[in-house]
Amino acid sequence: MLHATKVRTTVRRRNIAALAVVTALAATAVAGCGSGTGSGSSSKKTINTWVYPVINDPKANAAYWDGLVKGFEKENPGVTVKVSTYPWANRDTALATAIAAGKGPDVAYLIPDQLSAYQRNLIPADQWMPAADKAAYRPAALKAVTVDGQALAAPVLMSSYPLLCDKKVFDAIGETAYPTTWDQLAALAPKLKAKGFYATSYSGDTTATLNMTFYPLLWQAGGDVFSADGKKAAFNSDAGVKALTWLKTFVDNGWTPKDLVTTTPQIEQTDLAKNKVACTWQNTAAEVEPFWGKDNIEVGPALGSTKSVAYGTVGTLAVFKGANDKLAGKWISYVAQPKNTAGLQTPGGYFSPRTDAAPLYPGDALQEATEKVLSSTDVGPLNKSARDVMGLLAPQIQAALLGKTTPKKALDDAAQAADQLIARKR
Amino acid sequence: MAAVAERTTRPQKKRRGPHERREARIGLLFVLPCFLLFLAFRFGPGIAGLVLGFTDYTIGDTTHFTGLQNFQRMMHDPLFWSSLRVTVVYSVLAVPFTILASLGLALLTRRAFRGSRLFRSIFFLPVVTSLILASTVFIWIFSTKGPWSDLMGLLGLPEQSWLTDSALVLPAIALVGIWSRCGYGMLILLARLQDVPRELEEAALMDGAGPFQRFRYIVAPQLKPAFFFLAVIETTNSFQIFDAIYVMTGGGPANASYSLVYQLYDAGFKYSDLGYASALGCVLFVMTVVVALVQRMVLGKEK
Repeated sequence: MLHATKVRTTVRRRNIAALAVVTALAATAVAGCGSGTGSGSSSKKTINTWVYPVINDPKANAAYWDGLVKGFEKENPGVTVKVSTYPWANRDTALATAIAAGKGPDVAYLIPDQLSAYQRNLIPADQWMPAADKAAYRPAALKAVTVDGQALAAPVLMSSYPLLCDKKVFDAIGETAYPTTWDQLAALAPKLKAKGFYATSYSGDTTATLNMTFYPLLWQAGGDVFSADGKKAAFNSDAGVKALTWLKTFVDNGWTPKDLVTTTPQIEQTDLAKNKVACTWQNTAAEVEPFWGKDNIEVGPALGSTKSVAYGTVGTLAVFKGANDKLAGKWISYVAQPKNTAGLQTPGGYFSPRTDAAPLYPGDALQEATEKVLSSTDVGPLNKSARDVMGLLAPQIQAALLGKTTPKKALDDAAQAADQLIARKR
Repeated sequence: MAAVAERTTRPQKKRRGPHERREARIGLLFVLPCFLLFLAFRFGPGIAGLVLGFTDYTIGDTTHFTGLQNFQRMMHDPLFWSSLRVTVVYSVLAVPFTILASLGLALLTRRAFRGSRLFRSIFFLPVVTSLILASTVFIWIFSTKGPWSDLMGLLGLPEQSWLTDSALVLPAIALVGIWSRCGYGMLILLARLQDVPRELEEAALMDGAGPFQRFRYIVAPQLKPAFFFLAVIETTNSFQIFDAIYVMTGGGPANASYSLVYQLYDAGFKYSDLGYASALGCVLFVMTVVVALVQRMVLGKEK
């Protein structure tokens, strides 16, 4: 009896000990996960900066950043800047987990859609933008970094996605006029198909950002993703239905490769790379140049229907909470100067977000034509539910394109789910 | 009474001598690093995941305990039910066929013949091949202009991309899963097959048993523990299907291949909704445990 009691006591002790270990581990893990958002540290003299291969060539990328770091450190003795270049792939996963673990960067390269996603973690960049600097930015660039009336980051580059057409394809069908509107592109499509070409190549893969694929059509039709106050989905408007119906006509008639509605192969494996696609609004000139050849790229304006709008992005540098905000702010202001950003912009064919910058591509007709489109670009909605809404909308667009549902029903179903989501997130 | 008898017949535990105790301590010392790593990188995150499932944890925001809110939300989330259905259907397709394919390959390469080692290596190759890389090749294979579509045409079936069809996308991904996993199953079954005494099969042959009877009554019963092991491993693996889907379809068309782990990934890393993602992880964990227990009841009765 005594033995049985002893055994029970031992077992109970073991259970309590095990429970304590479990609780401690859980507490440690939860505490670890929650410690990524401390307030700024004014004693910190190191600025950890995360960038991505905006400059494709690793050597050129390293040389560019090394040069800037040396210049900045010389002007600010005692300060150390560490620049780490991470791959584009899964960058949000890496950034989110690093922030959660308290190992996030002080400064990072972000695009506008990330600004709203990380808004809680950022220190607004307004304070480091003198009025003269602010006035020098292109309105589209400044709009792209402004969330709730505050500039969250300093723009360092811009890009635009005008309608690009392949001259080889147009020569093959004996056409000399390039389309600039939906109607013109649709009118050419049957002729192109008869000769074995696609009018365009629409990527409906749900991993592709709608900012680059469907939203430009929505904007061109006169619609928008969210209502003006950002509290409701607005993509199921008449404009949205018009855009999706137009796109569905292309899929149904074989005017765009059907496989691309669900998958995105490497560009080398696509019809676009094989000179089988007439026009695209989802690629830059730099992307198609290796396959089409520079001389065969015809840069048009942004495609238009009710209005002419293209997707364009703005690359920015943002300061994260936990950084020495004074130093980090000084660093991003330094990098954002036109003389310092030129080296970042030219290798990838990007443009300056400022109007006071020296011309980057004098005499380059292709780049000059692309630059003209910058004023009619949209970076996509800066709403904190933007990504979640995209996740709801993209599969519905796919369903409509594959004939599983009608464009109207697809957009209405997505809007209904989106409204619930937006309400929950507010 | 029976209990008393059992107690009295239970062998007395032999007291270990100082030498044995020392050996045991050394053994424990060897195991300790692995155990600590397991605690830190498996058990700890697992428990943290369970705890986070009951919170509204979002990166950069204050975390609150929300009780069962995430699970209630899940019950009303059509995407959760859709991704659960996709995961189950995928598992139903992939697991049995992976085991069958593994068995076929193991039986083919069981006996030593000229080149048998080469064949075993070739069959095992997909296991050590990156599924991400392989998936990019399979995108082409299953595309409208790919060889799979041509093969379907030769068989008189519609020539189409299986990845754009809601009904065919999961069989296509399951084929990739089977291709990538059957080499591992083959290895497990092959190891077990080596232990089946040849005399038993020879005696059955003398008694006039055909190949199917020999397999049914002699080989298959010996393979039961290996089948159980494979069923558990493959089910767990198929419940976690993500990489092939991520590369090949992105969950499409129209969520027809959007699995539970894909939803978990999106919730956690795309939408920063880590509380909900953790709750999805809890459900996946419970599912895996329940299925393993059921498999144990059905397949592992004797062992």
